[in-house]
Amino acid sequence: MSPEASVPPEKAVPPEKAVPTEKTRDEKKPLLSARDLVQEFVAREAGGARGGVVQAVSGVSFDIMPGETLGIVGETGSGKSTLARAVLQAPRPKSGSVVFRGQELTRLHGHALLAARRDMQFVWQDPFGSLDPKWRVRSIIEEPLTAHSVGTRDSRRKRAEELLDLVGLDPARYAKRHPRELSGGQAQRVAIARAVALEPSLLICDEAVSSLDVLIQAQVLNLFERLRRELSLSYLFIAHDLALVKQVSDRVAVMYLGKFCEVGPGESVYKRPLHPYTRALLDSIPSTEPGAVRATATLRGEPPSPVNPPSGCRFRTRCPRAADRCAQEVPQPRELASGHVVACHFPLTEPDSAESGSEKVKTKTS
Amino acid sequence: MATLTAGAQQPLPSLVSAGRLRSQRIARALRLWVPAGLLILMAFFCFVWPYVYSIPPGDSGSILAAGLPPFSPGHWLGTDPNGVDISSMLIYGGQVSLEISLAVTAIGMLIGGVLGIAAGYFSGWADAVLSRVFDVLIAFPALVLVLAVAEVLHPSELHLIWALSAFSIPAFARVTRGTTLTVRTLPFITAARLTGTSNWKIIFKHVLPNIIPGIVTFSLLGIGIIVILEGAVDFLGLGIQIPQPSLGEMIAKGQTVLTAQPEYILIPSIVLLIFVMALNLLGDALRERWGVR
Amino acid sequence: MNPVISNGSALLEVEDLRVAFASGGREIRAVDGVSYTVEAGSTLAIIGESGSGKTVGCRAIMGLLPEGAAISGSARLRGTELIGLSDTQLRKHRGSDMAMVFQDPARSLNPTMRAGKQITEAIRTHRKVSRGDARDQAIELLRLVRIPAPERRFHEYPHQLSGGMRQRVVIAMALACRPKLLIADEATTALDVTTQAQIMELLLELQRDLDMALIFISHDLGLAASYADEVVVMYAGKIVEQAPAKRLFGTGGTVKMRYTRALLDAIPHLERPAHTDLPVVAGRPPDPSMLPVGCSFAPRCRSAADDCTAKAPALTEHAPGHRWACWHPCENGGPV
Repeated sequence: MSPEASVPPEKAVPPEKAVPTEKTRDEKKPLLSARDLVQEFVAREAGGARGGVVQAVSGVSFDIMPGETLGIVGETGSGKSTLARAVLQAPRPKSGSVVFRGQELTRLHGHALLAARRDMQFVWQDPFGSLDPKWRVRSIIEEPLTAHSVGTRDSRRKRAEELLDLVGLDPARYAKRHPRELSGGQAQRVAIARAVALEPSLLICDEAVSSLDVLIQAQVLNLFERLRRELSLSYLFIAHDLALVKQVSDRVAVMYLGKFCEVGPGESVYKRPLHPYTRALLDSIPSTEPGAVRATATLRGEPPSPVNPPSGCRFRTRCPRAADRCAQEVPQPRELASGHVVACHFPLTEPDSAESGSEKVKTKTS
Repeated sequence: MATLTAGAQQPLPSLVSAGRLRSQRIARALRLWVPAGLLILMAFFCFVWPYVYSIPPGDSGSILAAGLPPFSPGHWLGTDPNGVDISSMLIYGGQVSLEISLAVTAIGMLIGGVLGIAAGYFSGWADAVLSRVFDVLIAFPALVLVLAVAEVLHPSELHLIWALSAFSIPAFARVTRGTTLTVRTLPFITAARLTGTSNWKIIFKHVLPNIIPGIVTFSLLGIGIIVILEGAVDFLGLGIQIPQPSLGEMIAKGQTVLTAQPEYILIPSIVLLIFVMALNLLGDALRERWGVR
Repeated sequence: MNPVISNGSALLEVEDLRVAFASGGREIRAVDGVSYTVEAGSTLAIIGESGSGKTVGCRAIMGLLPEGAAISGSARLRGTELIGLSDTQLRKHRGSDMAMVFQDPARSLNPTMRAGKQITEAIRTHRKVSRGDARDQAIELLRLVRIPAPERRFHEYPHQLSGGMRQRVVIAMALACRPKLLIADEATTALDVTTQAQIMELLLELQRDLDMALIFISHDLGLAASYADEVVVMYAGKIVEQAPAKRLFGTGGTVKMRYTRALLDAIPHLERPAHTDLPVVAGRPPDPSMLPVGCSFAPRCRSAADDCTAKAPALTEHAPGHRWACWHPCENGGPV
């Protein structure tokens, strides 16, 4: 399936850009600008035979302004992790553009790419997988500094200790340890220390707290928040937990089967969801808030396969509002509220659903 | 629900007996040190003992002392039909076997290892070509391969080493390629690349330290296999030539007097068995310690 | 130690359950004196983080722990003592009286066997039925767990099914002989939140239809709030708080034990504005081989006082139906 828009990246004006909240910052250029990203890979059957082509990301565009946190929420198969890797060029997207600090990453190679990527770092889901088990904590944190030949050996060591302090680990106790001597939360902090060693402007976090226990998760989230303030970091925060994403993000994008359903300010997406999928996600979340409505399953059926996504709107096979038009026409993103963009033929502000939509929201927040 | 005591709780007594904990620790230590000790003992007897204590020669003997049974004075394992002391034959034969197997393993690790890492890390056409070559070589039964090479080269210790390497190089290459592939997909390799570390540094500092445990345990097994292969080649007369003793040749000669004096076959066979078993057990214990799968 | 008074309808009575392992020469106390009761047809949620002992406790009841586990205490299912039974004896109870569903459906199912066959196997282990009857019952079970087109799914392999459907098959296998107690161990953790809602609703419906008691184990307090009648919170091998869900989470909810309060506060809530700091508890759970003398949560608790580190508080019923183990509980369920 080819990317939706055949407009060259430079000429496209995606709806998200024509947005009032961003007009006030128009003089500021986006830190990261992704346009029409497409990523596919060949699915292998058991035994190595060629299966179908998995359309993991099918035409995704977004901006991240300096100092902003964009959260991406999606379930399994939504393509959110693939999207993160595509932004990073590891592996390169099949098509589309990623402009980071004015440079087109998809056209850079070798050293140029490395230099450009220096300002963009990644935090993985598995804290232990992302740390070399044979290395000591100190060396792990120094590695980016060594690789880019920053300072002398002594100054790098000092910087590593400062970074350990920054993430809340006592250098005297942790610098010489191996990852296996750390807990999950501590290991993730080391990964974060390494990620901020070169003072990047953008941190991509792919389910970075999902494998941590609740209390530890809270600690690490607070760390992200503190680093955001102290280092003026921008984040691309990816998770499957909507509440988690909303907690850390300025804007939230909801992703389904390779496309964005809805993008907007966190409060707006949560309080006035425009896309039926977002609505269904919100309904399914079991909440501990007093008086909350019990979580209900409002989606029918099973998620379709990304190898053969449904025609037109990909969500139509499970959508309670689907109609003929949904099968024939791919919904284009349109801005329906301030800064709030949705790709749906029958979004939840339409007259016939205005009642039920807002009622549901009311019950939830009472 | 019942309402009960407002009293505080003291920590509950231990449920698992202290004896059981202790025996667990001891068992673990034994699993490592018994085979390691055996191997060290064998190496000692082969390489140290003959130089501190004079033993009868292993390649010649007096007819007068021919065919002595074990526990005879001066020849505690007896002598063979030519009067050569059996324990000396074991020691000198063991020397050669160990030298050969260590050399072959080292060659396999170096050449096979380098090729395997290159194939596993860089993939692409290098991997495709190398993998096919190794698959072909490994497809041959090891013995056939070794014999083919031994036939072409004249029998001698050095040529035996090359012949056996024809087996060990592809074997090591396969294993290193496999472990490298596994490690290469782990997030910390991608993380290292993202920090800007060069490929060579990644290979030496990240990949190597992580595949070494797997390679070491494999090479322990490999030494055992090489020793047996070498024994087989000697048995067939294509390897070490008399008068230099070797375990394989002892077994071959022992065949002829199997019924009358079974100890000629039994003794070298048992020694081989213990040696290979100790290697395997040590490999298992190390794998347990290092967490190699 | 809290002996529980059993009334007539109690299905499962657990009393002073303790489980320990010997590992690397040290004793690991996984479960350190746990007692609770499950009424027939009710839903109990056992909530805890990793290492709290929530899974080990239930596996001990089912007899699914490895050889080296030392178990003491009592667990009576409809009056029959389960602890100490041999595997052969337990097998009679497993499947017909009690069943368990685990976290990863991909691992609970044999990838080389068709889904239907795995269910018929489960059926025929406990009942003498013909193959044809077993097949019919299996298809009925697939229908019961709301799998569409059950006749077709019967013949499919696990890898042809989605995660949610696989979990339904696993549930169907567990229900094959209509057990009175179903234990779901993190059964929805690996599923998407929309699928999770579907599966939880299914479990509750099945509970009503089959008059079955349900214990679900999770780290997610939200699940407990939404679906449970009774909630047990575990920390470091002990129960630290137990109450009806409505009492803990309802309007004017009263959470008393500091750990439960910390858990509640640390969960990101949709209501909370973005970029605020979460109330945080420092440190991590104690090493199960080196449990402290006093309250296990004291090293991390902001309200810890001297008496907390000196003696461990007992789990006591301070209010009707609400038990907690804390020397300085929260006031009126407010924040710490």
